[in-house]
Amino acid sequence: MDVQSAAMIGAGIAVLTGLGAGFGIPLATGKTSEAIARQPEASGKIQGAFLLGIALAEATAIYGLVVALLLIFSK
Amino acid sequence: MSISEKITEGISIKTVFTIHAFGLTIPISDTVIATWIVMAVLILASLILTRRFREIPKKPQLLLEAYIGFINDFVTETAGHHGKDFAAFLGTIFTFMIAANLAPMLTPIGGFGFEPAFVIKPLTRDINVTAAFAVTVIVTVFFSTFRYKGVKGFFKSLVSPSPVMLPFKLMEYGIKPLSLCLRLFGNILGAFIIMKLIEIVAPVIFPPLAGLYFDLFDGLIQAVVFSFLSTIYIAEAIE
Repeated sequence: MDVQSAAMIGAGIAVLTGLGAGFGIPLATGKTSEAIARQPEASGKIQGAFLLGIALAEATAIYGLVVALLLIFSK
Repeated sequence: MSISEKITEGISIKTVFTIHAFGLTIPISDTVIATWIVMAVLILASLILTRRFREIPKKPQLLLEAYIGFINDFVTETAGHHGKDFAAFLGTIFTFMIAANLAPMLTPIGGFGFEPAFVIKPLTRDINVTAAFAVTVIVTVFFSTFRYKGVKGFFKSLVSPSPVMLPFKLMEYGIKPLSLCLRLFGNILGAFIIMKLIEIVAPVIFPPLAGLYFDLFDGLIQAVVFSFLSTIYIAEAIE
């Protein structure tokens, strides 16, 4: 197997980091809806924490994407 | 042209012309020119909209005041009393991000065998643009710590709550801008590649529908997330 095709397979494996974000963000969303349903008056603060949380959770998926792009486009 | 070649061509950044000055050769890429255009539009809009303000506001002034008030409220709520000093900076970042992420929606319609007159790609798909913004934010965080806590307070913030945290606190000054920069770049580039794929596979009906999510919604959310995280970093530095 030459380096090019190995890099392509590596890029595919790197994108598996999306799994983490895919499990994490729905969990956070569900908990946020529960919290807002329980305390609608605190929705502003809850949404702030939620946005921060998903931004950080999403980072893993983004790093995977960046690594995959590096593998594909750097020769 | 194969699909991968089309995508590579779509995400590549072209050098439009080079400037030779002071013995340096400065390449000007298409994102730099697009940034200049967005800057010119925003500056002109702010000059025109803030002309002739009056006591009893008319519609444009009312909208503008609501927008500025929203940014002021948001920043002071998150960053506390001193946050107001940074409202202009963070508001500028927010406005520019929205303009930069939503600019591709102004591309004229093509198809049926003819190419659109010009193609606008999102500015933030270039990692240099997002890196510049991330560096600006972290420099602001760095110096506002000195400004609001003093030199002693800065060194104290490095060892709080315990001196064990020192290496992590130092690393934060590198990790924060890196993650800010990569998050925006990765999101916008990812959405851009998916849109390109959809345009190649199904050129009719689907691109505008998917564009609502990938261009409009994702662009707006990422602009919000970037400025929100910047606000939180600054709030941490000045509290």
